[in-house]
Amino acid sequence: MNLLSVLVFSPLVAGLIVLVLPASLQSRYKYVALAATILQVLLSVLVWVRFNPSLGGVNNEHTLQFAEKLSWIQLNVGGDSRLQIDYFLAIDGLSMPFLLLTSLVMFVAVLSSWEITTNLKGYFALFMLLDTAVMGVFTAMDFFLFYLFYELMLLPIYFLIGMWGGVKREYAAIKFFLYTLFGSVFMLLIMVGLYFSVQDPLTGDHTFNMVHMMNPANYVDGSLFAKFSGQLLLGIPARSLAFIVLFVAFAIKVPIVPLHTWLPDAHVEAPTPVSIVLAGILLKVGGYGVIRICYSIFPEAALGYAWWIGLIGVVSIIYGALNALAQRDLKRLVAYSSVSHMGFVLLGIASVTAEGISGAMMQMISHGFLSVMLFFLVGVIYTRVHDREIANFRGLSQLMPQYTFFIMVAFFASLGLPGFSAFIAEAFSLTGAFKSAGVNGLIPRWMALGGSVGILLSAAYLLWTLQRMFFGQLRLSGGEPWRLLLTDVTIREKIALVPLAAMALLLGILPGVVFTQINTSVLDLVKLVNP
Amino acid sequence: MNALITISVLAVLVLYLGLYKANKALLPVTLLGLAVALFFTINHWNVFTGPTFNDMMSYDNFAVAFSGITITSTMLILLLSKGYFEKISDHVAEYYSIILFSLAGILVMVSYHNMTMLFIGIEIMSVSLYILAGIRKQDFASNEAALKYFLMGAFSTGFLLFGVALIYGAAHSFDLEAIKMHLETNLQTGQAISPLFYTGVVLMAVGMAFKVGAAPFHFWTPDVYEGSPSLITAFMSTVVKTAGFAAFLRLFATCFYPLHDFWMPVILVITIITLFAGNITALYQNNFKRMLAWSSISHAGYMLFAIVSLGSEASYGVFVYAIAYSAASIIAFAGLVLMQANTGSDSFDSFNGLGRKNPFLAFTLTVAMLSLAGIPLTAGFIGKFIMFSNALSSMHTWLVVLAVINAVISIFYYFRVIVAMYFKDAERAELEIPLNFKVVLAISVVATILIGIWPAFLPNVI
Amino acid sequence: MQDIVKTIQGVPLNHYILLSAIIFSIGVTGVLIRRNAIVIFMSVELMLNAVNLLLTAFSAFSNDPAGQVFVFFIMALAAAEVAVGLAIIVMIYRNTNTIDINVMNRLKW
Repeated sequence: MNLLSVLVFSPLVAGLIVLVLPASLQSRYKYVALAATILQVLLSVLVWVRFNPSLGGVNNEHTLQFAEKLSWIQLNVGGDSRLQIDYFLAIDGLSMPFLLLTSLVMFVAVLSSWEITTNLKGYFALFMLLDTAVMGVFTAMDFFLFYLFYELMLLPIYFLIGMWGGVKREYAAIKFFLYTLFGSVFMLLIMVGLYFSVQDPLTGDHTFNMVHMMNPANYVDGSLFAKFSGQLLLGIPARSLAFIVLFVAFAIKVPIVPLHTWLPDAHVEAPTPVSIVLAGILLKVGGYGVIRICYSIFPEAALGYAWWIGLIGVVSIIYGALNALAQRDLKRLVAYSSVSHMGFVLLGIASVTAEGISGAMMQMISHGFLSVMLFFLVGVIYTRVHDREIANFRGLSQLMPQYTFFIMVAFFASLGLPGFSAFIAEAFSLTGAFKSAGVNGLIPRWMALGGSVGILLSAAYLLWTLQRMFFGQLRLSGGEPWRLLLTDVTIREKIALVPLAAMALLLGILPGVVFTQINTSVLDLVKLVNP
Repeated sequence: MNALITISVLAVLVLYLGLYKANKALLPVTLLGLAVALFFTINHWNVFTGPTFNDMMSYDNFAVAFSGITITSTMLILLLSKGYFEKISDHVAEYYSIILFSLAGILVMVSYHNMTMLFIGIEIMSVSLYILAGIRKQDFASNEAALKYFLMGAFSTGFLLFGVALIYGAAHSFDLEAIKMHLETNLQTGQAISPLFYTGVVLMAVGMAFKVGAAPFHFWTPDVYEGSPSLITAFMSTVVKTAGFAAFLRLFATCFYPLHDFWMPVILVITIITLFAGNITALYQNNFKRMLAWSSISHAGYMLFAIVSLGSEASYGVFVYAIAYSAASIIAFAGLVLMQANTGSDSFDSFNGLGRKNPFLAFTLTVAMLSLAGIPLTAGFIGKFIMFSNALSSMHTWLVVLAVINAVISIFYYFRVIVAMYFKDAERAELEIPLNFKVVLAISVVATILIGIWPAFLPNVI
Repeated sequence: MQDIVKTIQGVPLNHYILLSAIIFSIGVTGVLIRRNAIVIFMSVELMLNAVNLLLTAFSAFSNDPAGQVFVFFIMALAAAEVAVGLAIIVMIYRNTNTIDINVMNRLKW
């Protein structure tokens, strides 16, 4: 049994255990889930240690690591060949950091699930299913398998928001579901189109293998997506259209600005653990998909649209930050700050420079830890008084000094203070964007400047919030009852927060920890996209 | 052939059992007989040597596959019927035997090799169904369903027959192979094909579209489905629809195949209208049963994909789709029957809070809705996936794009059930689920998920 | 028997086709515009009889008995249909005292 398979399916087993345990053991479910996530953290640390950073992977099947490939579905479908779908798990530098991120975030999310009180069996079973799906997305190397895991993420989130969410949960749940599904059904069509265009060089069968899809030599001559066949689809060159469709599908997840409206709704209605998973992992699935699928399979289309992708990135950065400035609900503010920070990911990717892509990877990891921390902290207040209007709190630093310490760490880290991970990430993304104009001419310099403005804006809304909520005279709209309810962070909460803060600090001081692991793969990717 | 004889004899036997008041024995005997018929059917697999009975019937793998699905679905539906028909009337034996006669007609429909047998099969099935639809004699909705079904059925039979007559006039034969030969030789030698033939093909397409409930000939479907007793509706929307498509496919995919370029645009238009009519109207329903009726129209649209694209694997696509659709529909109708028996209502609101009180039933219904909506890891996804792949491989890009938009629309109304069950709370008593329902639900859910995860579990039998 | 075939062949085939097409159209029109269930039912029978006529004509002109055999099947099954159909109409008449299909509007889409 391969390490990755264990990593992917151990939560599922935990979920099944939760399902079969009798209801009398209801209070024990969370420990099962916790054990599964701790196991997962240990396993992903093991993967991290045993990972060989000198192997690039990306479009070379032989340098993918921990690969496991089994024949899974073979059907006679569609024309002259068999439908061949492999169970193919493997990782390279582009996916490896996400495994550790996912397992840590899941661990924190389970810790914050202590606040859930109703229908625990369903909750933890769905949560573990979600964990499996996310791990699967980051490890799948067969497009069909990837798609299945990608869709499998939707349902648990849908139910988690819809059943344990806030007042408008039904609306938020279906909005989230439809947005993502709309992107992914079209992804399915492109996937099938790719399948008919690509042949396994060994067997000659059509294949869903992503690595084969990245090599232009594997495309059947004259097929829909072959590089030089110049086929038109609905009036647009087929490969460009495919790139746009896939990009939109993933960009909805990232989210980019015109397609981001599901995010604030989902976050506001979702219970804290689900917000944590949404912000910490699901947004990264979008960025990961853009790198792994859009850029690697359709590199020339990616270069062609680099200007637009960079623009979308800058717009997201600035628009998200401006929106965050205008929010009165703390959780909405954090949600919009996510939109803003994920804009750096797109900007970095669009530059197609080693710096930019490394920065984008780093930003995803850094934002993974920081947004989780932020949402967890929002959840702390919310579970105590069931309110998160910024205007209702003032001078909290007197009441909750340790809490204020954590929130200051999270805020300063998020706004890109040197010494924290976000600084490295944003600096690298912007360097890449600056450099791009001179190296490959993909995105103009003013976009990098626009990104810098975004950093300023994020400093503005974060510091302003800090000032409004934590400094000054203690004044709570709930009065005395709230004062008693707002106790400082507990041991359990510290257990969740300390590793997150430590990771943010560690990656800020020693970014090489991540960079050495991903460097070969990033260079390979740059070479693949822009040879 | 043995299966057909078994079922016909079984129907008469069941009538006699009813005559001698052996009501307790009816269901076991029927199920046993169907199991025997299923065994005979499977025995026929891969022993096909050519059409039999003066080329009237052809028991090829296609026939075996679809007979298998229809017999199995009928068994599952009949298993749900324990105690159901007794509530409607005292003469229970009739129900079983009429359903069996209808099934006999269906077996003829899926294995014909001659237009005569197609007609006879359709009529045996339809006449039985007219009676079944109106079997609640005092219930006005049931009466109305029966009359509408009867008039529309007879009307469409007229079209079908006129088409058959015209084709006979052009090709001088009712035999599928002979008609195909006629077309091929004419096309090869460059001889013009008689306009009678073209008219005949269009009329037959109209007739078949009526039978499978494809738009714009679908307007009878929701009324008939809503008015008939729920279990009969289940039978009509699963078994009968599958059989209709099998007959449709056999006619157009084998016999009229050489004229593909001529009739394909017609079917294409029908497909698109069917998809939109079914899905959009289903959005506006407040009643679960009526929603299922409209959704069955939209599923007819998806199944028509196979006939439009006719890739080498069209029959396999319909086969998988029919299994997925039947399994999910049986679950849905089982839930509906339980709900009607317990609350007397079938609006979406009556499902409120079911997730908490009846977790198993709610789970199975959820799986069924997901499968109908085509969400991955359910059989419905595999069915749609094969259909879409087939259509894409024959370059019907626009059709697939429209179908995908429809698949998204369908999420809205399928998820209303899920939303009601899980997200809305209501004071309600726990529904009592009899053992036979549990068995049927479990079998269908296992089949749905198993095919979703491991499609190779269904070998390509055709 | 041979005489009958000869007599049938005395009229050109196109006339048969035209005639049955007209009868068939009358039947279709009747189904679509009449509101009385019995009349609709008769119109359906008219459609079937147009088919019978056409099949017989084709059969005679191509010297192939299969078409006439088919006519027998149509007649037999139409009779079965009539039995069931009339039963349904009688059932409805008992419940509503009318056979106007406009009362059939309890079920609406």
